[in-house]
Amino acid sequence: MTQPLAILVTGLTKNYGTFEAVRGLDFEVATGEVFGLLGPNGAGKTTTVEILEGIRQRTAGDVRVLDYDPDKQKNQLKDRIGVCLQATNLPDKIKVIEALQLFGALYSRMLQPDDLLKRLQLEDKREAFYSTLSGGQKQRLAIALGLINDPSLLFLDEPTTGLDPQVRLEIHALLNELRNEKRTILLTTHYIQEAEALCDRVAIVDSGKIIAIGTPRQLQDRSASRSTIEIQCEQTLNGLTIPDWPEATQTNLSEDGHRLTVSSTRPARTLVDIVKWVDAEGVELQDVHLARPTLEDVFIELTGKRLRD
Amino acid sequence: MNAYLTLIKIDIRLAFRQRIVIFSNYLMPLLFFFVFAQAFRASQGGAILQVVAMVIVIGILGNGLIGAGIRAAQEREANILRRYKVAPISPLPLLVASTVTGLVVYLPCVLGILALATWRYGMAPIPNLASMLIFVVLGVVALRSIGLLVASVVNSTQENAIIVQIIYMAMLFLSGATLPVQIFPNWLLVVTQFIPATWLMTGLQGIMLRHETLLQNWQAAGAMLLTAAVGLLLCVKLFRWEKEEKMRPAAKLWLVAVLLPFVLLGTWQARTKENVAKTRVLSRELARSRTSLIRNARIFVGDGRVIENGAILVKAGKIANVYEGAAPDPKSLNAEPIEAAGKTVLPGLIDMHVYAAAAAQRNLAAYLYSGVTAVESVGDDAAHAREMKTIVNGGQKPGAELFTAGQVLVAHSPAEARHQVDALAQTGVSAIEVLSGFNTATLNAISKQAHADRVPLVIHTITARDVIDALRVHADGIDHGSMQDHITDDNFADMAKLGITYDPSLSAAEAAKGNVNLLNRSLVQQVVLPATLAAARNSIHTDGTANLGIARDNLLRAYRAGVPVITGSDAGIPLVFHGPTVQHEMQLWVEAGIPSQVALRAATLNAAKALNAATRIGSIEPGKEATLLIVDGNPLQDIKATEAISLVMFKGENVDRSDLLQDSRSR
Repeated sequence: MTQPLAILVTGLTKNYGTFEAVRGLDFEVATGEVFGLLGPNGAGKTTTVEILEGIRQRTAGDVRVLDYDPDKQKNQLKDRIGVCLQATNLPDKIKVIEALQLFGALYSRMLQPDDLLKRLQLEDKREAFYSTLSGGQKQRLAIALGLINDPSLLFLDEPTTGLDPQVRLEIHALLNELRNEKRTILLTTHYIQEAEALCDRVAIVDSGKIIAIGTPRQLQDRSASRSTIEIQCEQTLNGLTIPDWPEATQTNLSEDGHRLTVSSTRPARTLVDIVKWVDAEGVELQDVHLARPTLEDVFIELTGKRLRD
Repeated sequence: MNAYLTLIKIDIRLAFRQRIVIFSNYLMPLLFFFVFAQAFRASQGGAILQVVAMVIVIGILGNGLIGAGIRAAQEREANILRRYKVAPISPLPLLVASTVTGLVVYLPCVLGILALATWRYGMAPIPNLASMLIFVVLGVVALRSIGLLVASVVNSTQENAIIVQIIYMAMLFLSGATLPVQIFPNWLLVVTQFIPATWLMTGLQGIMLRHETLLQNWQAAGAMLLTAAVGLLLCVKLFRWEKEEKMRPAAKLWLVAVLLPFVLLGTWQARTKENVAKTRVLSRELARSRTSLIRNARIFVGDGRVIENGAILVKAGKIANVYEGAAPDPKSLNAEPIEAAGKTVLPGLIDMHVYAAAAAQRNLAAYLYSGVTAVESVGDDAAHAREMKTIVNGGQKPGAELFTAGQVLVAHSPAEARHQVDALAQTGVSAIEVLSGFNTATLNAISKQAHADRVPLVIHTITARDVIDALRVHADGIDHGSMQDHITDDNFADMAKLGITYDPSLSAAEAAKGNVNLLNRSLVQQVVLPATLAAARNSIHTDGTANLGIARDNLLRAYRAGVPVITGSDAGIPLVFHGPTVQHEMQLWVEAGIPSQVALRAATLNAAKALNAATRIGSIEPGKEATLLIVDGNPLQDIKATEAISLVMFKGENVDRSDLLQDSRSR
């Protein structure tokens, strides 16, 4: 990588008493990159992010964020980063514009609050009290607060958790815009689609460890063995001997014999073989479906766990 | 700096948007104000100052403990503080903003209450307003520190509410902010000295009622400043941004640290009882500040004049007005009416000559009980007398005003005499008292020095010869005159010309004859302990030298010569008991042929003049202290009426006579 690193983490651990929340993380985030930490609840994502933000002390390991040590140069670091915490609130009776002025005043530099409101489509709510905002508006305000100091690095901890799907899409659009501004973003999520849609690279975290890291595509490819072909036939295939195709790893026939599922390391090749065989047997083909593995499949394959939605 | 200003600005805006803030900072104090003003009859005098102090303290408690404490804990619980954690600031700006906001929100309430008290209840302007406001600011800051610290050491809003309520209630009820502390027994008063709000209360009252400065309240101000500083420091140290961060239960002990200045003050007070005394003084000042109108009374002015039907307006401890004929409606004067039809109002009586144990508080209480409102005591130990003066004249304990002449002079040479006079004068004695029998040179030296020190010289004479000696050295007063020799009319003419006072002490002459009837006087039996009376009855003896007839004759001729006569009883000698002394002395005078009004004047204005106190006491005139004796009947016709006491007023306080001797009688 030629660009300087925004984040460099080596051997990071964090213990709460005897409980090891983070158990030796290594990763780096390049400047301008959107990096996702994907994992189930309790995987150690939030702990990791809070250590990077300088609000939690690490137990061991080396951490550099924007070339600062978050434990030792807290305030310099905090001044340069933007943070959108998972669970925060503002006083009920604070106006949107006041919240921006208030938090802006705490930093050495500050964007024009009105510009931010416009960008986050909150200009109508400029004078509204916080308590009157909808969930999506509150989240947009939280992101606006994270941007108030024009940070070079933005942390988003579960930015869409608890929001309804429509609002989630809005936030995704917003984050894509931020991404286009070439801001470095580190986000945590337990939504696979979110990571797929937003992140340049993803680290899958489970039980305090990174179990896979790479672009969403790389992660999927790593699990290519699990691409599956599914055919639907008019007649039953029961009674026929299903051949042993060279690249096929697993074959499954439904009980009624109408649906055949085949996993393959070379799905394109196997597909041709299947179609040929069906044709030769004189069976009428109704439908063919080729499924690449999702990040979720990768996750399940790697962890043996399901991500809760 | 920008961070501080913005935080403060928005904090203030947020505060004013909260209904609870408006309610607890403005509406509630206002409500308390009007209720207390009614309950304490604030329109009738100085009680308004107490009401103002009470309401201000209640407001400070609410603003500090509930306003600062509860809000801080709530913001943490609601994940609001969390948001600040990711910003590059320390907790200090947040804490400072909270405190400044508290002040900005609360100070208008103080000013509003002061304005209301002035405009609606006629409160006089407070001369030390700056001291008072600074004191209030210190109070708010200290109480907010305590509130914030409570929030810092608790783990939930519930815990917070419990601790805040304990502190709030204790402060509310024990500090004098709601319950008048006058009703507290002494031990409880000592307990209250550990409570910051008590110091707030006594400080505010001292500043408003007694016109004290901030400096005079340095203990309270210092303790509050220390509490504020320690509290703020601990808050920064213990600050938690998130509810997930829990505190050990032992962390609550930090509360003791922040209250430490007051723990120390309280412990100190448990020994010195200074502030306890101040509390007593303040309640006395309050009692003295009532406005009352004594009406339909016969008034003996003191200078000999008599108003057959008049009224006296008493305000702030002073006589504000004397009306002849019908008085205005008490309501229009905001005064409590005191009906005195058929009664006579006299200036408080003065005994110019009492002895030894006179300075004991019980004796001074007995005098006050009997309407003898000032005594000059001879022969007391200077330090003890000074202490008694502070306690009684200061208002800590009730009693007649004490003037002390100090030790009777015993000198062997003119030089020694001069030195002794000077030393006595330095201690602030009201007179230099010497017994006759000094040689001429020494007596001259004494006289010269006393005059140089501007202290009246009073000579206790026995023989006619002593009187002549006293005249020669220009004494200012002659006590006893002579009970064995006839003093010449020439001598009396000289005394009249020189304005030398004459105190015949007929009581002493009579007592010397062992008159057992003196034990049967009603007032004597009221004020003297039964055991003392019994002992006196068993030890009656007579002293041969005194002759009441000669003493009477001397007095009568002194009066006729125009000598300023004054009443002194020699109380402290056998059969002359501290208490209703002047009444009996006047009876002896009247029996000797002195007109009642002359005897009364001798016991009031003349005596006050001899004490150099006539600008304050001795007559019923506007501007003088409202120290009065109201008796049934007309002592101008029957001097014994002076014993039929209806009411004693001392510096404006309607003295509760039934309570005066309570403590010592039960002991």
